[in-house]
Amino acid sequence: MGDVSYISYVLSAIELLASIVATLHFRKYQFSTEKWFLYFLWYTFLIDTTGLILKIFSLSSFWLYNIFTISSFLFFYFWYYTVLQSKRFKNLVRLLTLFYLITVLLTNAFETLSNQGYAFFIGAIFLLLLILMHFNQLLNSNEVVIIKYKLSFWISTALLLFYIGILPLMLLGKYIDVKGEYFNVILLSLNVILYGCYIIGFIWTKQKYNRF
Amino acid sequence: MDETKIQSFLIVFSIIAFALALTMIFLFAIFQKRKNKLLLERQEAENRFKEEIIETQIEIREETLRNISWELHDNIGQLLTLAKIQLGQVEENNNNVSEAEQTLTQCLTELRSLSKLINPNTFRSLSLVNALKMEMERFNRMKYLETKLTFNEESFELDTKVEIIIFRMLQEFFANTMKHSKASKLEVNVTYEGDTLVIMAIDNGIGFNAQSGDFEGIGLMNIKSRAKIIKAEALITSQLGKGTEFFLKYKNQNDEAYRSSSG
Repeated sequence: MGDVSYISYVLSAIELLASIVATLHFRKYQFSTEKWFLYFLWYTFLIDTTGLILKIFSLSSFWLYNIFTISSFLFFYFWYYTVLQSKRFKNLVRLLTLFYLITVLLTNAFETLSNQGYAFFIGAIFLLLLILMHFNQLLNSNEVVIIKYKLSFWISTALLLFYIGILPLMLLGKYIDVKGEYFNVILLSLNVILYGCYIIGFIWTKQKYNRF
Repeated sequence: MDETKIQSFLIVFSIIAFALALTMIFLFAIFQKRKNKLLLERQEAENRFKEEIIETQIEIREETLRNISWELHDNIGQLLTLAKIQLGQVEENNNNVSEAEQTLTQCLTELRSLSKLINPNTFRSLSLVNALKMEMERFNRMKYLETKLTFNEESFELDTKVEIIIFRMLQEFFANTMKHSKASKLEVNVTYEGDTLVIMAIDNGIGFNAQSGDFEGIGLMNIKSRAKIIKAEALITSQLGKGTEFFLKYKNQNDEAYRSSSG
């Protein structure tokens, strides 16, 4: 049996909780593009649980998480492509997705762990750009007044906080030794923020405001 | 525990916490500012709307007073004078008594319809079509214009404030027709279609050159600005010698949609 930190269990539990809340409130956003998030949350939960089982049996989960990271970035890009309305933003999403795919191909061609970090870094930076575009779109519409009832706002906030937090962790990880338990504690805190925002969003959202 | 490990953990943790806090404060501030600005704009728009309503009501009242003064002078005054003359001739010819009686009866009828016009409650409880009917019947009675009003049976509840503004827009158009166009005929068609109200008003007057911006009086300009306020589509087209046409399209908005046009 492998050495599995309690943090992995907690993480899976939080994901399960978020997925259940998302399922219970599904009817409020079933007609908007946010509906994909329901499937995505369950997908995340399945992947992490599989990863946990692999860890328990001391098997490598490298490819599992590699594929999960790539697919989740591609999912976010796809979602922002449907949510963003201006033609300019949509084109930019296309371009960034293409760049990200090229980066992924290159890093996987020269397969080393540090290269995977680059792909993640690029993916996260691009995602932050998309989040800022989404906020720009919200700010320039009348939706600002009812912003806290919009699921898309909470999703963007969750992703923004998570990736703003995880980027310094990755960058500093190169210079300072932050492996092991400490790394996990910070990662868990960021996940709590991420899924906390999702859960608030699912509970607060109102059907009539989930327009974009 | 290793001291350097704790130190590096603290550094990383505080940097991340700082980044998160900064992001949150920034997000909150920027959204709050934008929200306040929007709310303020909305408040201003609402105030403008209210002011416009008040102004419109005052104008309608003034118009009514003007109409009363005309009617008293041209219509009822004339009739009473006639009755007086007829009664003065009683000694010479007894026929005149019944004639005078007829004139007085007619006079009373006119007075009743006039008093109906003055009563502010009447107008408030009238629907748009009925108010138009009354206004246009008056033109007929006073022989200013030959009018025709057509409307379909289907209708929906309109906000009274919107009704007042639409009525005033039409009244302004009518005033223009009577003062400047030398028209003899006026036709109005009111159509309710689903949630859309379409009004067409056509006169057969001398018209004006719409291209040259030769809007006669500020009345027609007022119509445009009023249409904007209730978010209606208003179009005035005219050709020299071919009369003037007024087109109004108003889509019924529920209160919320009116307050926040979805982006």
